[in-house]
Amino acid sequence: MRDPNAIDFWRGFALVTIFINHIPGNTFERYTFSQYGISDAAELFVFLAGWSIGIATRGRDGVPEAPGRSVVRLLARTVEVYRAQLTVMLLALAIIAGAALLLDNPLILEWHNAGGFFADPIQSVCGMALLTYQLGYFNILPLYVVLIGVAPVFVLVGRVNLIAALVLSASIYLASLVFEWNLPSWPGEGDWYFDPLCWQLLLVLGFVLQRWNARSDILRRWSRRLFPAGVVLVVAGIVLAVTEIRPDPMLVPEPRLLFTFEKTYLTPARLVHFLGVLLAFAPVYALLAPRIGRIVGFLSQLGRNSLAVFSMGSILSLVGQLVRFQTGGGRLIDMLVAGSGLIGLGLTGWFVEWRTRTKSSRPRP
Amino acid sequence: MRAAFRVPILAALVLAGAALPALAEQPADPTGDESVLSQECRVPGAQLYTAARLGAVKAALAEKRPLKLLAIGGSAAPGASASYPAKLETALERALPKVDVVIDHRGLPGEVASGAAERLRTMVVEAEPDLVIWQVGTHDAIARVDAEAFESALSEAVAWIRSHGIDVVLVDPIYTASMAADADYNRIVEAVRTVATQQQVPLVRRYEALHYLSSRSDRGEGHMLGRQFRLNDLGLRCMAEHVALTIVTSLGRTDAPAEPKATPATSPLTGPQRAPG
Repeated sequence: MRDPNAIDFWRGFALVTIFINHIPGNTFERYTFSQYGISDAAELFVFLAGWSIGIATRGRDGVPEAPGRSVVRLLARTVEVYRAQLTVMLLALAIIAGAALLLDNPLILEWHNAGGFFADPIQSVCGMALLTYQLGYFNILPLYVVLIGVAPVFVLVGRVNLIAALVLSASIYLASLVFEWNLPSWPGEGDWYFDPLCWQLLLVLGFVLQRWNARSDILRRWSRRLFPAGVVLVVAGIVLAVTEIRPDPMLVPEPRLLFTFEKTYLTPARLVHFLGVLLAFAPVYALLAPRIGRIVGFLSQLGRNSLAVFSMGSILSLVGQLVRFQTGGGRLIDMLVAGSGLIGLGLTGWFVEWRTRTKSSRPRP
Repeated sequence: MRAAFRVPILAALVLAGAALPALAEQPADPTGDESVLSQECRVPGAQLYTAARLGAVKAALAEKRPLKLLAIGGSAAPGASASYPAKLETALERALPKVDVVIDHRGLPGEVASGAAERLRTMVVEAEPDLVIWQVGTHDAIARVDAEAFESALSEAVAWIRSHGIDVVLVDPIYTASMAADADYNRIVEAVRTVATQQQVPLVRRYEALHYLSSRSDRGEGHMLGRQFRLNDLGLRCMAEHVALTIVTSLGRTDAPAEPKATPATSPLTGPQRAPG
């Protein structure tokens, strides 16, 4: 296992934040950074995925692996994420249906748009396999499948020219904002909660910045210089979030997505705010790591096993919501839910690493 | 401002009875008459809805253009795919002959008090409807959102929609036995009612309606998952009819003038309502 590092640490941090934010209404929600800015943990998570692709498609010595190998590696990861999404969706639907039956409460069937599935299983099960049917809060992995699925294109272009990869990505992003392109939901009307055509920019940005960071010192120097700008953006984000000031989507000029704060389209305001967060918090890991080694170790272990931890987190947050619902919530319940959830996430990370260790040393039963 | 709205509405309510004969000249207009409901969905009007004026819808009808509806929340009835929007369209087109009704049906997962209200704004901007029919409260109730936070977020969202000249019909959460004694749940249902009253928008009282239906004898029709699930299915089947009746009744009352014959089709009363802010 690799040692704790900034990338795994922040990934683990994003995973914990997403877990807490996916139990709406709970006491700890107000202590997550998502409540104090325009962008949130989803941006961090996708950006770090791009950064990791930059690391994963090269050897330890920084020499790029054969292009074919990178493509196969990314496609294998796509299959893995797709499989995780199907498993998580099936479990979530079973938990919702099971809870409705056990508690004799059909209200629960409407949870997170699950009602559509139970009303129309014939179309919905196809939509589930196609990733066009998504439950509320279970919409990040479908985005991931698409992003990692198209990542080989950007990785290969990036081998030739990183600027070209970034320009290609930014063009798709801008065109999607102007023409409001998104993938459709089905069955039912509407679009994806996370528009992959927009969010791909963050993945490519992570990938490209990782490469620049590895190549020379220029990026690091500039990020130090721009630190005050990052702080200003973070403070502006806090003010806007606390005062709930945001543009009225009905009143902004066309193309309106250039001006609104919509998460679905990763609008420019969110992107700029996220870059500010990045600049302001990039130096924090080096300060924290020597002081809170235990916590860094814990979060890094989560980050190293992000897919398994994220999947388990989705299920645990759903269970947490049910517990809060049935017991009526309250501070004590929230502490219990969040505490056991964190232990569950930790055990998941530990279990995956234990399995990897034993798998390599012994034949399978 | 608010008092100014209330007077014509009160007048409309008082005169609703008097207006009925005049409206009866349009044979397909079942204004305020619950007998248009199918047998299994029949609920007395007083327990089913609170009517209020629908200025934007009325204006669309007067201009003889297609009526654009954005229906939010609510799954299709079991067994029939996407039947709620389809049934609503049929029911409205039957009640409003010669009107083309176009329905955009969207799910809105998440809590109104945290995020979903923002997503709603996007949907409204994209759909540009004349009327938003919003089934609201279920997700916030399940997430145990504080009823006051929910109420203020909902109130703000409804006021925002109306400030852009779009009508709103609210639909409150379902009745089910295991939630009947749940104080938080009742507070959420109550909050939807309060907002409907304050913002003067029509309300489909689904909770009351299902409570009424649940009290009727249900011998003869079983449900393999038990009585509450049967009631839930019935509620889903009846949604379209109940919403349609509420809209048509509200429309009837939007026009109900103090002097029935003097008022033109585009009532000046709809003016202030379309731009309350």
